[in-house]
Amino acid sequence: MAKRQKRFEVLDAREVNKDGFVTEWPEVGLIAMGSPNDPQPSVKVANGMIVEMDGKKREEFDFNELFIANYAINTAVAEQMMAIPCVEIARKIVDINVPRAEVAKIFSGLTPAKIAAVMDELNVVEMMMGIQKMRARRTPGNQAHVTNMQDNPVLMAADAAEATYYGFDEIETTVAVFNYGPMNALALLVGGQIGRPGALSQDALEESIELQLGLRGLTAYAETVSVYGTEKVFIDGDDTPWSKGFLASAYASRGLKMRFTSGTGSEVQMAYAEGKSMLYLEIKCVMITKGAGVQGLQNGSISCIGVPGGVPGGIRAVLAENLVTTCLDLEVASGNDQTFSHSPFRRTARLMGQFLPGTDFIFSGYSAVPNYDNVFAGSNFDSDDYDDFLILQRDLKVDGGLRPVREAEIIELRHKAAKAIQAVFAELGLPAITDEEVEAATYAHGSNDMPARDKVQDTKAAQEMLKRGVTGVDVVKALAKRGFPEVAEAVLNIQKQRVSGDYLHTSAILDKDFNVVAAINDLNDYQGPGTGYRLQGERWEQLANIRHAMSPEDI
Amino acid sequence: MAQLSEAVVREVVKEILAQMGNGSAPASAAPAVSNGDSVADLTIREVGVAKPGTASDEVVIALAPAFGDKLKKRTITGIPHTAVLRELMAGIEEEGMKPRIIRVWHTSDVAFVGKRGAELSGSGISIAIQSRGTTVIHQRDLFPLQNIELFPQAPVLTLETYRNIGRNAARYAKGDSPAPVPQISDQMARPKYQAIAAVYHIRETEFVDSSKKPMDLEVRFN
Amino acid sequence: MSQQDIIAAIVKEVLAELNGGNGSAPAAAAAANGRTLNYKTDYPLAQKRRELVKTATGKSLDDITLDAIMSGAVKAEEIRITPQTLEYQAQIAESISRPQLARNMRRAGELTRVPDERVLAMYNALRPNRSTKAELLAIADELESQYGAKVCANFVREAAGVYEARDVLKKD
Repeated sequence: MAKRQKRFEVLDAREVNKDGFVTEWPEVGLIAMGSPNDPQPSVKVANGMIVEMDGKKREEFDFNELFIANYAINTAVAEQMMAIPCVEIARKIVDINVPRAEVAKIFSGLTPAKIAAVMDELNVVEMMMGIQKMRARRTPGNQAHVTNMQDNPVLMAADAAEATYYGFDEIETTVAVFNYGPMNALALLVGGQIGRPGALSQDALEESIELQLGLRGLTAYAETVSVYGTEKVFIDGDDTPWSKGFLASAYASRGLKMRFTSGTGSEVQMAYAEGKSMLYLEIKCVMITKGAGVQGLQNGSISCIGVPGGVPGGIRAVLAENLVTTCLDLEVASGNDQTFSHSPFRRTARLMGQFLPGTDFIFSGYSAVPNYDNVFAGSNFDSDDYDDFLILQRDLKVDGGLRPVREAEIIELRHKAAKAIQAVFAELGLPAITDEEVEAATYAHGSNDMPARDKVQDTKAAQEMLKRGVTGVDVVKALAKRGFPEVAEAVLNIQKQRVSGDYLHTSAILDKDFNVVAAINDLNDYQGPGTGYRLQGERWEQLANIRHAMSPEDI
Repeated sequence: MAQLSEAVVREVVKEILAQMGNGSAPASAAPAVSNGDSVADLTIREVGVAKPGTASDEVVIALAPAFGDKLKKRTITGIPHTAVLRELMAGIEEEGMKPRIIRVWHTSDVAFVGKRGAELSGSGISIAIQSRGTTVIHQRDLFPLQNIELFPQAPVLTLETYRNIGRNAARYAKGDSPAPVPQISDQMARPKYQAIAAVYHIRETEFVDSSKKPMDLEVRFN
Repeated sequence: MSQQDIIAAIVKEVLAELNGGNGSAPAAAAAANGRTLNYKTDYPLAQKRRELVKTATGKSLDDITLDAIMSGAVKAEEIRITPQTLEYQAQIAESISRPQLARNMRRAGELTRVPDERVLAMYNALRPNRSTKAELLAIADELESQYGAKVCANFVREAAGVYEARDVLKKD
């Protein structure tokens, strides 16, 4: 085109056209849902064993299919549930007169292909209705990423405190530089308990280090345990359903909460999707999670979001994978945790699928720091978007898990967290934190505002923490000795969770008094208007009370 | 739905390049090497099954199945493979070491290509590169999914980065511990490139021949 | 027996246990006053059945206080879940129709007896192409004979059979 039409020139310059889009390519699995290569649903049970599933004989099963057949499907009801037409099951998901437990029972007997076919009957509004009913815990929640590019512990503690004060039930960190793991876990633990006692913290690291930090009480749960939908990709990821199942038991044996991670697009991204749709393969991941006896799953494409995001209907498939997770009676930490689009419209629309119905964790990582500091490569929303998010809650009267906060409160809180981590560092003999750093962390927007630390010393100290075997109990003692008894008490209460095991159950979080709130004592009982979680009373007043609303007396 | 044809990929890449304007990758070529915008000036010939090298000054550059002479012969940001290969080689030579170029056929996974290259490298060090530009520096004694340096975000790699990768690989081969090659992290690379990167990888994977051994290559820049 | 037969046999055994057979820890039910726990009446344990929750050294949750930590009366390594508590939690999970979760808790209960390093080593051995069949079967025997971990042992035996059928055993 030699001469451009001016409107198209403007359109081409729009943010949305910086995103990458591709056409479907079903032969290799570059298709969100309903690949022509997805199998037809079928099941045959003989002597309590599945001998045929989705058109394959047992002898032909790969290891994922064997695991699913052996552990994830209730053989006593499979043939009965598989006989229900897909559209009828889809309607039961939406029908307010059908209770959650009945849908969960039906899903306990379905095969992957059947579940995929059921999902294809639903449009996105119906999927949201489904999540509203099928979400395991009645009260929705949220999770944040707390990281920074410098692995600065003072800033991290202050950011963790701010995040949990806003209302995140879980906070997750990782490292910019591998060796900082234990120190970041420490900063997150201390800061998180200052913002809101009972918040759970984790540190995404290499598997054995992550488990070690959990054993020592420096983290409260684990999440980055990946599973995949094809055998080839699972092997390339260096695991099998049995190795991951064993690891799940290892965590529980030490009293630690954990969930698996998966998401649409990972198999096709690794070029071995076997021509199957992204959703069909993801359903296998959800079923492997269920079969392993893990209480929940982080999904919603996660780090592969650009792949479903690039094909037609991809974001609907991402919503469907969250819905499948809830229908299989698992906790869902529902994504929204990665940079997804240049367009703020697309970013917001992508969020609505989880935000409007509510999930156990609407984001599995809202960036509680500016995205430039997000070591998970950015999130769909970040700390600069807080007011947008809070006003979305207020406009639509939806509880997204956060509450409005005041600047003065945040300054006080960040200062306290920075002082506390300064004290813990001093008591544990870690490299000193100066008053100048405390001041900077209190007022910082991000790590660009922090004075540089001696990274060589910090790295060494972090490794020594591992060698010396610093535990959560050492942190309790340090806090108590240095004048932070209530923080010490909170960190101790986190340690005690590993004794009762109550928070090993589905969708468990802790309230500020360390009571477990799980899909048992807070089981979702939604059955239409007037039931389930309702945003009302004090909580609604709190969410409505944003910073910049003018009252009559202001004028 | 239509299969994603080569013409479509070509179109998508062209559009992206147009959107990116002139500011990015090819412009930052290191001055020492002529980068040439042409993709046609590279001839690759297989000269026999690659055997374990014996020269300790040898650094293997292991090409994934489609790199250099198949598909579009450009990385995901449109840098000609010719220019990339020249920079890698120049970086190695600058440090007084010798590049040896092989093709790995049995896998397109950059980690496993690198591991195989390192096993065949006289120095035990290899650089592996995929068509889309994803690169790794690998070492013989590491597990496949480990690495010395990994460059996972092909869209942010420039010719200057490739020169530095060559240089660092050579330094590791000499037993030095150089500072890692600086990398830019672009959070917006995901929405822009992830789906396209998947297509690149799938297309390259179509050339995998699981039974074919790694081959020594003769490379000529015309 | 052929490979398929072995897998079939193991699976049948596993399924029998899953469906409430003899696999679950027998001592547990009795300890909770002769009945199994139920999610409606007994959860959370820390509130509703606090007397049942003990540390690895037999202390109660109320013994774990800030004072006890400061005086050294309670040590870090004591703050650990017991197989008994995991069995109670498994019963809770079962009562709310989550048999897989219950099963994982029972495997976990068995693994409480296996040292940290050994657990990690077993996990690594279960990764693809890491172990021969004999090596996996030896781990299964170790789990059963040394730690009384019967459910875990069968899980590893099952893996050995599947890995052989799917060609993910270490080639020696």
